[in-house]
Amino acid sequence: MNNIKAIAIKEFIHIVRDRRMLMMIVLMPLIQLLIYGYAINMDVKHLALVVYDQDQTYLSRRLIAAFQQSAYFDVKENLQDATSLRRSLDRGKAKAGLLIPPDFTKEILSGRGVNVQLLIDGTDSNPANVALSSSQAIVSAFVQKEGLLSAEISPLDFRPRLWYNPDLKSSYFMIPGLVGLVLQLFIPMITASAIVREKERGNVEQLLVTPIKSYQLILGKLIPYLCVGVVMYLLIIVAAHLLFGVPIRGNPLTLFALTTLFLTVCLGIGLFASTIAENQQQASQIVMFFASPSILLSGFIFPRETMPTFVYYIGNLIPLTYFVKIIRGVTLKGVGLFDLWDQVIPLMIMAVVILWFSISRFQKRLN
Amino acid sequence: MSEIAIDVKNLTRNFGKFTAVDHITFSIAYGEIFGFLGANGAGKSTTIRMLCGILSPTSGDAIVAGYHVSTHSEDIKRSIGYVSQRFGLYTDLTVEENLQFYGRIYGINGNAAKARIDEILKMTGLSSWRSRLAGELSGGWKQKLGLANALLHRPKVLFLDEPTAGIDPLSRRAVWEILYQLADEGVALFVTTHYMEEAERCNQIGFISAGQLLKIGKPSELKAEISANLLEVECEPLMKASQVFSRIPEVVGLTAYGTTLHLNVTDSRAAEQAVARAAQKENIHVTSIKSITASLEDVFASLTKGARE
Repeated sequence: MNNIKAIAIKEFIHIVRDRRMLMMIVLMPLIQLLIYGYAINMDVKHLALVVYDQDQTYLSRRLIAAFQQSAYFDVKENLQDATSLRRSLDRGKAKAGLLIPPDFTKEILSGRGVNVQLLIDGTDSNPANVALSSSQAIVSAFVQKEGLLSAEISPLDFRPRLWYNPDLKSSYFMIPGLVGLVLQLFIPMITASAIVREKERGNVEQLLVTPIKSYQLILGKLIPYLCVGVVMYLLIIVAAHLLFGVPIRGNPLTLFALTTLFLTVCLGIGLFASTIAENQQQASQIVMFFASPSILLSGFIFPRETMPTFVYYIGNLIPLTYFVKIIRGVTLKGVGLFDLWDQVIPLMIMAVVILWFSISRFQKRLN
Repeated sequence: MSEIAIDVKNLTRNFGKFTAVDHITFSIAYGEIFGFLGANGAGKSTTIRMLCGILSPTSGDAIVAGYHVSTHSEDIKRSIGYVSQRFGLYTDLTVEENLQFYGRIYGINGNAAKARIDEILKMTGLSSWRSRLAGELSGGWKQKLGLANALLHRPKVLFLDEPTAGIDPLSRRAVWEILYQLADEGVALFVTTHYMEEAERCNQIGFISAGQLLKIGKPSELKAEISANLLEVECEPLMKASQVFSRIPEVVGLTAYGTTLHLNVTDSRAAEQAVARAAQKENIHVTSIKSITASLEDVFASLTKGARE
């Protein structure tokens, strides 16, 4: 116990004395948070819309106003011909173009119905989808509001409702996952380089001739980095809550406990990398090697359900996959441990396996 | 100088087919300074690692500070100190923090640690550097810190792997003064070195080559042993002379020292005559030929050459 304490105290001194490390611990999560929170905004709103209104009546202007008020579209320009409308789309000045025919009001009032065209730039599928669905909603609301529908009652009153994230804020979706991403990138890296550093600088040679045991060395080294992980976690989650209003609907203690479990897996990865790497640079390369599959395949950004089966199973091997579900579950859905067993058990197995494997590798390398 | 601190019997270590240490036997008493000499790769480090309990022997046994290396390595680690050639402490910790850390590992805490650290800093002359980062120390002070660190827990046996490699003569002398003081207090010291003047300071020296302990004895004994067969020849041209003389059957070894050649010979009288004859024949101008007292370097040269042949 004393030996573990001795190593841990020493390790804390290393951390505190290493300015760059301290900066990384505080700044890296915050920078990531700002990037994912503000810059990478996948909420599609305020799409540039150009309009060619050939009717120029009260009703046609009401329709344009309905688009403008929806927040999905910003009317950028009223054009005078169809060619310049097409050119706006070609040049990317607008994402959509609304074409209202000359006898718009007349045809509606006569009950014959009328064709209104919306041209959407489909190069980027995501905003295009949003433009498509939101424009349909806008138009049907417009039809109802203006009393243009015959009074027949629809036989099916379909009312979808969004749960957990009713405003579909992408920051709500991204930021909890980001907590996991930052931890899975950073914690293994600093753990591995802290252990490799000791090898690199010849400190291990000196430690070997002392009565310290390898398990004490490992625990003494891991505990401080577990603490670093906890600090980073708290930093991000508090910042996420204060800056982006990300809710924590579930029990914060459950989340804390499960984060610690996830951190244990991260420490194990770091320890494992340290048993392969010869120097600090290699250690961080090994960890970075896993970064991009973690970002892409864990469900952090892209839904895993649509992935090909093989890729889906690879995702099953990534700890972040489970943690992303856990943290989204607790923060957004407010679920508890009972609903999370499917994620917790794989994480537990991962923690045990990787720690056991890395510790035995580490001991072998020492001797 | 009576009780045995290190007792090595037929100690052997193989790495696969390669025998790094081959049945070496020797013993060192408390209060004695044992100099372990040998070329790089001769088996010095492997021997030290076995004696420190971090590498188990393939066969044979050694008792260090009363414990068998093969069965009680943990007890050995508690009773020995080790100063590595490469600075093994933490450069981003202060002198004092390094000592506190190692103190804790040996169970020296609180006031006892404070007192012991003060004592050891005074002994090594490091007191005024205590709040300096270890990385900011010069080579000599680093080595003293390494020594201070190894002495914290009052080891009865101290291993030093080239303790003064690459440090200035003044610091080297200071380190040796500490070593003498320790020997006086009854600590057994096991020192590896490449410096002959340093080997000269040891009570006993052992030569290891290709894993075998070739020779062991007091420096004076070893020198006397080969002095009987050592000739110093002052002559020119030197290059030609060394080629000619090395062909003489009585000459078994030849080393150049400045303007002279040192010849290890089988019989000094016969060799002297043979050298004179050869010189005349090959037109080498010989100024003087005389028997000389060997230096340790001569001993080292003759032993490593003998081993190679």
